[in-house]
Amino acid sequence: MKAPVFDYRAPRSLAEATAILRDAGPDGRVLAGGQSLMPMMNMRIVAPGVLVDINRIEELARLDADGGTLRVGALVRHVDILHSPLVKAGWPLMSEATAYVAHPAIRNRGTTCGSVAHNDPAAEHPSVLLTLGGSVVIASAEGRREVKAEDFLQGLMTTALEPGEMIVELRYPPVRPGTGWAFVEFSRRLGDFALGGAAALLTLRGGVCEEARLTLVGMGEGPVRVTAAEALLAGQRIDEGTAPELFEAAVQLARRAVDPTDDVHAGAGYRRHLAGVMARRALARALLRSGRTHHA
Amino acid sequence: MSGTRFVNERMVGSSVLPEEAIPLVEGEARFLNDISFAGMFHVAFLRSQHAHARLARIDTSRARALPGVVTVLTGADLLGKVEPFTSMPNRFSGGQSTQHWLAVEKVRFCGEAICTVVAESRALAEDAIELIEVDYDPLPVVTNARDGERDGSPLVHDTCPNNYLIRRDYQSGDVDAAFANAHLVVKRRFQLGRKQALCMEGRGCVAAWRDGSFKLSMWMSHQLPYVVRHYLAKHLGLSETDIRVVAPQTGGGFGQKASIYPEEFVCAFLALQLRRPVKWVEDRLENMVASTHAREHDIEVALALDAEGHILALQSDIWTDVGAYSTYLWSAGMEPLQTGGLMPGPYQVKALRYTTRGVATNKTPVGPYRAVGRPSASASLELLLDQAAAELGIDPVEIRRRNIIPQSAMPFRNGNNLVHDHVGYMPCLDMALAKSGYPVLRKEQQAMLAKGKLRGIGVACFAELTGLGTSTAVGPGTLLQPGRDAVTLRLETSGKLTIAAALPSQGQRIATAMRQVAADELGIRLDDIACLTNDTGMAPYGFGTFASRTAVFGSGAVIQAAGELRRRILAVAAHIMQTPSEELMLADSVVETVDRTRSLPLRQLAEHSFFSAKDIPSEINQGFEVTAFYDPKHGSFAAGAHVVVVDVDEETGHVEIVRYVAAEDVGRIINPAVVEGQIIGGIAQGVGEALYEQLIYDENGQPRTVTLADYLVPSALEVPHIELHHANTPSGALGGFKGCGEGSIIGALAGISCAVADALRQRGGDIFHFPATPERVLRGLGVALDDAA
Amino acid sequence: MPEQQTITLTVNGRVHTKDVATRTSLADFLRDQLHLTGTHLGCEHGVCGACTVTVDGRSARACLMLAVQADGREVVTIEGLKDPAGVWHPVQKAFFENFAIQCGFCTPGFFATAIELLGQNPDPTEAEIREYLSGNICRCSGYQAIVEAVRAAAAAMQDHQRG
Repeated sequence: MKAPVFDYRAPRSLAEATAILRDAGPDGRVLAGGQSLMPMMNMRIVAPGVLVDINRIEELARLDADGGTLRVGALVRHVDILHSPLVKAGWPLMSEATAYVAHPAIRNRGTTCGSVAHNDPAAEHPSVLLTLGGSVVIASAEGRREVKAEDFLQGLMTTALEPGEMIVELRYPPVRPGTGWAFVEFSRRLGDFALGGAAALLTLRGGVCEEARLTLVGMGEGPVRVTAAEALLAGQRIDEGTAPELFEAAVQLARRAVDPTDDVHAGAGYRRHLAGVMARRALARALLRSGRTHHA
Repeated sequence: MSGTRFVNERMVGSSVLPEEAIPLVEGEARFLNDISFAGMFHVAFLRSQHAHARLARIDTSRARALPGVVTVLTGADLLGKVEPFTSMPNRFSGGQSTQHWLAVEKVRFCGEAICTVVAESRALAEDAIELIEVDYDPLPVVTNARDGERDGSPLVHDTCPNNYLIRRDYQSGDVDAAFANAHLVVKRRFQLGRKQALCMEGRGCVAAWRDGSFKLSMWMSHQLPYVVRHYLAKHLGLSETDIRVVAPQTGGGFGQKASIYPEEFVCAFLALQLRRPVKWVEDRLENMVASTHAREHDIEVALALDAEGHILALQSDIWTDVGAYSTYLWSAGMEPLQTGGLMPGPYQVKALRYTTRGVATNKTPVGPYRAVGRPSASASLELLLDQAAAELGIDPVEIRRRNIIPQSAMPFRNGNNLVHDHVGYMPCLDMALAKSGYPVLRKEQQAMLAKGKLRGIGVACFAELTGLGTSTAVGPGTLLQPGRDAVTLRLETSGKLTIAAALPSQGQRIATAMRQVAADELGIRLDDIACLTNDTGMAPYGFGTFASRTAVFGSGAVIQAAGELRRRILAVAAHIMQTPSEELMLADSVVETVDRTRSLPLRQLAEHSFFSAKDIPSEINQGFEVTAFYDPKHGSFAAGAHVVVVDVDEETGHVEIVRYVAAEDVGRIINPAVVEGQIIGGIAQGVGEALYEQLIYDENGQPRTVTLADYLVPSALEVPHIELHHANTPSGALGGFKGCGEGSIIGALAGISCAVADALRQRGGDIFHFPATPERVLRGLGVALDDAA
Repeated sequence: MPEQQTITLTVNGRVHTKDVATRTSLADFLRDQLHLTGTHLGCEHGVCGACTVTVDGRSARACLMLAVQADGREVVTIEGLKDPAGVWHPVQKAFFENFAIQCGFCTPGFFATAIELLGQNPDPTEAEIREYLSGNICRCSGYQAIVEAVRAAAAAMQDHQRG
């Protein structure tokens, strides 16, 4: 399990990195945290001709808020997210999800952007980005473009990234006051990729749901937003009395929204069942954390 | 026996800190991969991508041309030069398999070695592997035992009709009459998946040409150095005296490193051919397909009982998917024979019948692994006892009490012809129940249920045959009978004691245990005793470490050798001190007169006897080196009872172990902390076996669990805190010792399985297939999991 | 020939400058070129944790980092845990005294992870210890002795701080 030979480049600036990537074309590959890429290279599943190590580009380590938008640079590690008071205060869904990511040593190296770029269907961060309505800032030698999460995440481990491009940061818009959040996940062992999970946001004002977000994790191609359930919940008064019935309807929509596949850990039928369980748990927890602590 | 025998009991029974672990603490222990020689080459293997195929064409030319590549071999290059592995015949029906070290004509499992590349580095060797072209003509595959035994099934070996590598039909007592006259007959099916030992360190070897006086020196991550030496000589056409085998620091064994595999033997061949040292270190991807797997049972079991729940007869039908080749040295009989033959466990079974089969399939061969066969055997019976208890309306504990072999009936010959003696099954059960507060547990279970929470309680009792001597085969009916091992004790000129044996440690602290026994037997201070256990160049003959035998054999041989060594020491002391040896004793490394008026330090005595030998008559000065073989004849039964409490999430199917109480009879304990580590470690592997670990193949025989992300080894979160208690009964072996390396995994699989089934039974459900994955648990609860939205 | 680079890094307090093939992992570099074989390779895909070392104060899988990425960094391996006087780190001592080492292959990774945990949380509960160590696989011990050892190390380190 030794990695194949590659041309190793460690640019010091973004311009330098994108120039190398432009020249490398489809042969180029960005190395950030390396916690997904290096195993694949050790197993010789991937063999990039040019490996562009971006770890020396200091500007990519930025984690800050700009006009209420959270910016997560390409070198921000899971551990930085986990320990960030900024993230915890403004985007607690992200903090909660990050706690499910792997284990300490992996979180110390692995990056949020890398997780989104990899787009493993069972990974946490693509679904969080989708749920929070975030976007991906992509750079190439030609310049920058910003792509919405739903356009970026294109399916099973595929994204809108073109050869010559790299992610420079993720952007998460502000979460509206009164929004309850929950990220739930079920995996065989803590830190494993999820058998299934769900992210939910419920924005309540005066007991009425202004906006709902529900995304499922680990269900096939990639994160699945259950827009039908979101539409169903929006405008409804949600309280202890109405929640069971409303959530049950949302659960049924969630089960219908996914198209899971069999793998060694569970069959498609189990996963569809789990989609419902996770959706219900996420919505229930989000409700507990919503509105009531905020004034309308 | 001389009245002067001084037995110092201070060391045995105490948790002596293991000096042998110090290099591990400091990161300076030498594992196999840490051994290097100047000019050493590195080896990698090209492995089959197909489960069953003819090899149409192999083109190694591009690989050979890669700079840094020394040579590339195929199976054809070894033909006629080395003897392939042909499985040991057994006394029962079934054919034999022949395994070439590198596949010839056909491959029979994914991962089978086809070519070997020797290069200047492992990375280069892997580069070259990618340049080898192989054309496969795929053949129909056999992927499970039940399909494989059917007439008309594809054959893995033409020599094995119905793919039987072994089949045994056994009966004792009148089983038919028992079933005909039974008050109650209960039946169930039990399936256990395929798993593997998953040592943290894979296999590996360094093979060196002409190191010292040997033609071939092998450093090999292995449990049986002398056995390796024997087979290297046999298969390479060398004399055993030309070969030295050393097992360096070894990162786990659990039986996986007790078989003979092709890769290390290819390396030995290469070292002899190239006259250069070569190293092969099995990486994890290789380890998942090329090192033996374990288990994979499909069992149909039935019990005939009387109205009080006494077992009248036990019948089982067993299919074991043993993979593509009969594991070399042990044969394919290991799992099938032990599963059938040892199923009665600690219970009185007057009439026993089983048909057990080892069916060849196109998967990795199955070999020995911790508690071979018995976890499945025990779980099958324990689950069935619970079922019978439910039908009879008695508590699961009560049905066990009524069938356990009581100490008052011992020695007791059971229906499987094994004699139970010096073992406390009932005391273990009593202790486990008392310590767990079993009646309270049942009340809590009902209270939880009233609140809509599903809890299950499992109680499992097991017997574990350890330290098998010459009167007991390693598996019922197998021809291999490794019943004797030797230890050499040598008093060095400095008065220090060296213990030498070929009983290598894979973490069991064997050296510490033998030092403790020797210290007590001889009265030599622990600090004055060293122990070497891993080198055929130094040790007397021994089979090695497996089958929970090492503590029994090593200690027994130490005790026997110590008796003679003490006699010789005291004889010399008597001459020097001018005192009858009856009036001398040996304690704290000093010979003293019993009235303690005069003393002679061992150091002085040893120096005197070697360097001033002329002072001492040679008939007295016989040399302070004694080798003794020990044969415990019969094995010693160890035992245990485990009480396991699980909570089941009815929505996800997740099983959480919330309480684990184990009571064990491991005989007289040498080092309590070491024993505790063995027992708890075994339970942890049982947690994996019951809930997590499975090696999955698709219908084409492709392995689908080849990484540690897919093969789920329990972490610190999945293994619960274990409450461990002892109800020890000394064995009949020398010193009263028993083995303790394997028993607890038996109780763990059975106990956890029973707990999960008990939980599901609260809802009218059940479970027959393990590990109990969330999906299987939900199906067992009757949750509809079709893929309709 | 694979590309080579010259790197300078500090390992266990000592500065090394070496030529290294760019594809070489940090683990292989430590083992083969610095002869620090105490770092063990258990899976080479980041799951087992045996190769975990400390890089710039944070635990990292040495199998998932290239040696060239460690250029300019400070690495601590199991060989560097003793203090300058040769006294074991409290975690080393506690693992030894609590029989938390059986085959010892996983031990170096547990040391790195446990030391990081105790740096962040000097008095962890059993549940916190189990969670923090859950990315390190031990196949021998069943973890109980390891958990006890970490608790013992925590107590010893706190006693030491209190003086």
